[in-house]
Amino acid sequence: MIRALRLLSLYIRVSVQNLAAYRFDLIIRTIMSFVHISAELVGIWTIFHNTTNIRGWTAWHFLVLAGVYRMVAGGIRMFIVPNVRKLMEDIRNGTLDFVLLKPVNAQFLVSIREFVVWRITDVVLGLAVSLFGCWKLTNTIPLQATASFFVLMLAACVILYSLWLSLGVLCFWFVRIDNIEMVFWNVFEAGRYPIVIYPPWVRNMLTYVIPLAFITTIPAGALIGDDQSLILGRTAPLIAIGVAAVSFAAATWFFNFGIRRYSGASA
Amino acid sequence: MTPPATHRGHPRAHSPPPIGPDNMPLSMPQIAVNQLSKSFKVAEREGGFMPAVRSVFRRKYKQVQAVDAVSFTVEPAEIVGFLGPNGAGKTTTLKMLSGLLHPTGGTATVLGHTPWRREAAYLQRISMLMGQRSQLAWDLPAMDSFMVHAAVYRIPAAQYKSTLDELVALLELEPVLKKQVRTLSLGERMKCEICVSLLHRPSVLFLDEPTIGVDITMQARIREFIRAYNREHGATIILTSHYMADVTALCKRIIVIDHGRILFDGELERLSDRLAPFKVIKIDLSADVTNYDFAARGEVLSSTGRKVELRVPKGSAAAVTTRLLSDLPVLDLTIEDPPIEDVIGRAFLDKSAAGSAPAASPSNSDTVAAGAGGRT
Amino acid sequence: MTHVLRAFGAFLRVGIGTMIQYRGEILLWAIWGLVNPAVLYALWSAAAQTHENGEVAGYGRGEFAAYFFMMMIVGHMTTAWDTYEMGYLIRSGTMSPKLLRPVLPIWEALASNLAYKLVTLVFVVPMWILFALIVRPAFHGAPWQVALGVVSVLLAGAMNFVIGYCVALIAFWSPKLDATGEVFFGVGMFFGGRFSPLAALPPLLGSIASLLPFRWMFAFPADLTIGRINHPYEAFAGLAMQTAWLVIGIVAFRLIWRSAVKRYTAVSG
Repeated sequence: MIRALRLLSLYIRVSVQNLAAYRFDLIIRTIMSFVHISAELVGIWTIFHNTTNIRGWTAWHFLVLAGVYRMVAGGIRMFIVPNVRKLMEDIRNGTLDFVLLKPVNAQFLVSIREFVVWRITDVVLGLAVSLFGCWKLTNTIPLQATASFFVLMLAACVILYSLWLSLGVLCFWFVRIDNIEMVFWNVFEAGRYPIVIYPPWVRNMLTYVIPLAFITTIPAGALIGDDQSLILGRTAPLIAIGVAAVSFAAATWFFNFGIRRYSGASA
Repeated sequence: MTPPATHRGHPRAHSPPPIGPDNMPLSMPQIAVNQLSKSFKVAEREGGFMPAVRSVFRRKYKQVQAVDAVSFTVEPAEIVGFLGPNGAGKTTTLKMLSGLLHPTGGTATVLGHTPWRREAAYLQRISMLMGQRSQLAWDLPAMDSFMVHAAVYRIPAAQYKSTLDELVALLELEPVLKKQVRTLSLGERMKCEICVSLLHRPSVLFLDEPTIGVDITMQARIREFIRAYNREHGATIILTSHYMADVTALCKRIIVIDHGRILFDGELERLSDRLAPFKVIKIDLSADVTNYDFAARGEVLSSTGRKVELRVPKGSAAAVTTRLLSDLPVLDLTIEDPPIEDVIGRAFLDKSAAGSAPAASPSNSDTVAAGAGGRT
Repeated sequence: MTHVLRAFGAFLRVGIGTMIQYRGEILLWAIWGLVNPAVLYALWSAAAQTHENGEVAGYGRGEFAAYFFMMMIVGHMTTAWDTYEMGYLIRSGTMSPKLLRPVLPIWEALASNLAYKLVTLVFVVPMWILFALIVRPAFHGAPWQVALGVVSVLLAGAMNFVIGYCVALIAFWSPKLDATGEVFFGVGMFFGGRFSPLAALPPLLGSIASLLPFRWMFAFPADLTIGRINHPYEAFAGLAMQTAWLVIGIVAFRLIWRSAVKRYTAVSG
């Protein structure tokens, strides 16, 4: 466990060290981070120029969700997407062999190698916007809501990791489709706004079939804490943990299945 | 303790061979392969529009036997060369021995482990270098990749430093350590790849085409390095290469593989004896000669102006030479062994012409498949 | 001119072949063009329902459905990726061989663009129909409006391609700036009426939008086809604006291109 953490911190350290070589990129990307969040804000401004609340969600509610959405988008791009892209590249180029030669668990190694530090701006900006929205709504940040939010975000991370890893594993069979990640971004697009805007059948699909709600609306609702925003009520964190555990187990099994098939082990 | 009689006496390591957690007696081979096989199911597809459409509905598969009941053993600190044309099964065999592939038949034991179980203890003691692929991080300086490697292999700090210093000195890596791998020349990159694969002091080293694409001078340097490393540390090395020079410079023992079967396993010098017992006579004439039937003396390899090359069976080389010397105005005459590429090339040609032949019998001695060579 | 057309024909053939070969990848890419309008439709129709008259900025649920249905079509027909790709082409050196040809690279880009639109049509048209069947859009367009609408959609496609290409040329001066595409796209989203009908924009944004070409690329063709532009005068004025911007784009391209190549040959070559 300690060794795992040491390895992870090493990869992060190396990534940070090399930022200096790409200063121009860093500046541009930081600016773009601000541009993106501003675009979200302009969108919300436009929406609430035309109405005061949509099914109970006011501008501040929307703000909290927008912040969470940005945090998730930034978080994914910080440490999940780069690793899965590298996995797919390794499968295509045959360099996955080098991963398999190492005396470290292949799934672990494949999940921590890449780290895009500057995406932290998205996470920070998103968090700031969310907290601002929260404060505007309740004037305080209640402790229980924060704890609940934290658990839900953690669960969301695990769910997202599992989803993305599975997309990467598909590369063992569909070698050329490396923009399979577009499937994710397309579905993720639907989480940009609270799922209350959708008709019930879509809402259910986005909660139980594709757990998009667990990644966006539910954590936001938990942070807000008031009753009507809480999708699935106060048991949401427990359900989320359950969903996270199941998806992690499934993704791990799928990854190992892919590796066994890759190395020609009889199934 | 004497090594088995059939093995040529190769220089023992100056330091005792590495002994792992399982203390292996010296008489037991470090690598033991028995009837190892690997077949692949490959989708068949002809070109053209209709076959493409058809393949969407019904896939046709073909079984390809990449490695066919291969057997051999390797002693500690040996350097063995694997030779064979593309697709012969060399890389597949190496991948099975390093644990990357599961065989479809047979067994193999390396350092007491079954490779494809991929036990961490096993992986800690081996290393594989693939000349066609890079394991270094592209955008980082080589030094960073070394650091990561040390952490992954849990190399203690002091050992890492001393190993790194030694390798950097031997490979002359000092100027390139801080440069991004992307900016290095192929030769420099290859040296870094070699360095990183040795950082954890593996007992067994699998080198898959380590000098491919590298310029001649660098090839020689890399060869010298491998030789020195084997002498110093007693690492067992299995090497595949297209360059005969790699094999002749480094390996006393070679294994020739084609179509997944071992054609020859033994000393390099014996290879030409068994596979092509011929000599090449090169004649330099002092005057133009016409009407001389060279073809009656032997196989004419080339005839340009006053230089003729003849290929004759070993046994008759002396007789033919005497004849030529008395018949012709000879300025210079040399008798040579055919180039090793020729020998091996012909072995493969004959193999495919002679049809399938049973594989070499599992033993440590020099062997030759019955169908190869054809002539004795 | 004939040799340009022949080259263009060749590029088009190759482009179509390439698109068919990579159909898996580009279909995944094309799906976004369906998802985004669908999500926005859900959003705006929910917003509309919060009012008694069921309308926002004069659009009811059915009208929003029709509007975003058109946005799928318009969005598809105006797809252009040069703003995203140009920097990469220059950095990787892929631009050099293109510049050596006796034909401007823009022709190849155009052919590729058309090839994409044609090949993906097979897939997206059924999706459009499916969407329409689900959301039941309220069309008010008279035949003459639809006819002019088709023309305006095609003009919009040409506009976005040319103007986009001009913006993409910024990469010749700063090839490492990969943000051009996103910014161009983002501006078009709001000021072109892709995020919401222009009537729904707050006044400040609305006035900015009226100055930019984006409204003619997205909002205008959509509104025209679904019947929100009722005076023929307005319709023809709009088509004229589209044409004017297209001409401006072509002229700007000619001017900027010359400096761009000069810059390229001075710096990288």
